[in-house]
Amino acid sequence: MTDGQVPDPVAGETMVVQREDGRRQAPRWLRRLRRSPIAIVGFVIIGFFLLVVAFAPFLAPYSPLRQTLRSRYVPPMVGVSLRGPEGQFGLWVRDVSRSSAGELSVGDTSYPVRFFVRGERWTWFFGLMSSDLRLFGVDGPIRFYLLGTDEQGRDMLSRIIHGAWISLSIGLITVAIGILIGVPIGALSGFFAGTTDLIVQRVIDTMLAFPGILLAIVLVATLGTGLTNVMIAVGIAAIPVYARLVRASVLSVREREYVEAARALGRRSVPTLFKHVIPNVMAPIIVQSSLQMAVAILFAAGLGFLGLGARPPQPEWGLMLSRGRDFLATAPHVATFPGLAIVFVVVGFNLVGDALRDALDPRL
Amino acid sequence: MIQYTVRRLLIAFPSVLGVLIIVFLMVRLAPGDPAVFLAGEFAPPETIAAMRTRFGLDRPYHVQFGLYVGSLVQGDLGRSTRTQRLVIDDLRQFFPNTLELALGAMVIALLIGIPAGVIAALRQNTWTDLMVTVGSLIGVSMPVFWFGLLAMLYFSVQLGWFPVAGRGTLAHLVLPAVSLGLGSMAIIARMTRSSMLEVLGLDYVRTARAKGLQGARVVAKHALRNALIPVVTVGGLQFGQLLSGAVLTETVFAWPGIGRLLVDSIRARDYPVVQGSVLLIAVTFILINIAVDLIYGFIDPRIRYD
Repeated sequence: MTDGQVPDPVAGETMVVQREDGRRQAPRWLRRLRRSPIAIVGFVIIGFFLLVVAFAPFLAPYSPLRQTLRSRYVPPMVGVSLRGPEGQFGLWVRDVSRSSAGELSVGDTSYPVRFFVRGERWTWFFGLMSSDLRLFGVDGPIRFYLLGTDEQGRDMLSRIIHGAWISLSIGLITVAIGILIGVPIGALSGFFAGTTDLIVQRVIDTMLAFPGILLAIVLVATLGTGLTNVMIAVGIAAIPVYARLVRASVLSVREREYVEAARALGRRSVPTLFKHVIPNVMAPIIVQSSLQMAVAILFAAGLGFLGLGARPPQPEWGLMLSRGRDFLATAPHVATFPGLAIVFVVVGFNLVGDALRDALDPRL
Repeated sequence: MIQYTVRRLLIAFPSVLGVLIIVFLMVRLAPGDPAVFLAGEFAPPETIAAMRTRFGLDRPYHVQFGLYVGSLVQGDLGRSTRTQRLVIDDLRQFFPNTLELALGAMVIALLIGIPAGVIAALRQNTWTDLMVTVGSLIGVSMPVFWFGLLAMLYFSVQLGWFPVAGRGTLAHLVLPAVSLGLGSMAIIARMTRSSMLEVLGLDYVRTARAKGLQGARVVAKHALRNALIPVVTVGGLQFGQLLSGAVLTETVFAWPGIGRLLVDSIRARDYPVVQGSVLLIAVTFILINIAVDLIYGFIDPRIRYD
């Protein structure tokens, strides 16, 4: 207890006390987290991802839905060069289009790509943000495609940037459903034991009898396809995971002295559960939530890929990837980039989950 | 042992019942007329009416459930509304292919995952260890279907080493099995590494070293055997995950297995086949879990079944 922490007799956890110089010291888990390189990489990835979500239409050069049929399946970086017509540095682009025979042709005139250009008007966050300013765009009458285009001539980069919002919402809604339903179920089941526990555990067993993505598939088959149903399905599939986890933690916390003390003081069961037990099983819940975000994003992409999730023209990464399958040999970039985006974000959440586990639970 | 096996099977009974209830409810809770789901969208009215009587669809749920289980017990899973084939015949035809794929994936996952984990543990905090750790992180973070597509693009389309899709020779199996097994490989490598690190720090390993045994022997004979016990559990559970992961892999590689059958049937709203495939995968998963429990006792004599 040399680092400014003393055990709180009731909460059972260490609490922060003032150091001699009067500054509050961060709790031990936070200091452990700050020192961990895994955590830093993970949080940087997630931070980047959140920035992309927040400023998607500003960062994306075009609307994710805007089709340009004369430039379908343009490979990445075609018509893009780092030198201008007179040898100046910068990003210069030329017009790219496909003839009716499928030949790709690149125009003669180069136009510069500039920061902060005016483009198509966009609204974001349910109409709260609206502007025609974009971070970068071509200064000229043509369009450019850093990551190429898909089968409808839509800009892949813009679609991937806009798809981040879909992935984030799937992850958040899934975790919310898992926590809001799974945590109380697991806590009550573990705290009260007996018949309730027995019945709840059999229900959880049943849900866990559908391995991996199968439970979500079963639910989507019942509810119908579409993005909303995918969120609900993947969320329900997360319930047994949280319930099991919380039950196990509650079982171990239940017999601790501070819970006994609360009982001995005559506190009733349910308030004790919420006041003393649940706060002390928060650590595994937080860790699981980060890992669950990763799982949810993978599952939703999987369902999108199978054609059971998001519907065209939604820029969902799994769905975009599946559209690239038919033209894998001629336009491999359509399947490649959305997959990279998925791996990037999922790695981020997995890293943060691992780092949080190391920091919050040093026994593991 | 026999007593334990029987008891373990009895404990699994509620799960099987639960699975039956969920599969039963799938058709009843989906928006629309269950009789149409079971007979097919374009079925003549007589067939739809026949379904209604046969499954008692206008009677209370418990009666319906009794009728459903009754027909299941007789091995009657209904007919596909798409092909009019018996569902049981479809399952018989496609399930062995899925098992083949999942076994292939498991073999690859174990053959690469365990050595990778052992090497990482023996060279803790070196570049090798870091590579295995990063590799397994990417392995669990990668969508199987994406890896499958890229592998197909590179090894089949560009290099021409393997057939692009379908099932047949051993060469057909390689890419699907590798993409399916990748996630499990990552988890097994991770598990082996941490389990190995734990065992290497134990007294008996130190004793073995102290009495002058060579490194490799200590690792093989003393450490690995004990380190592998938790790996068996994880591996067994992974096998179940592979069955569901097969849904995605089979779709990528046009592998004629039960996962692809399931997805095609969901798209076509062919509910009898959906019910049959889901039931088969879930029950297989439950049986695998029981088998893992039993194997656990065999390889670790410290566990007693009483």
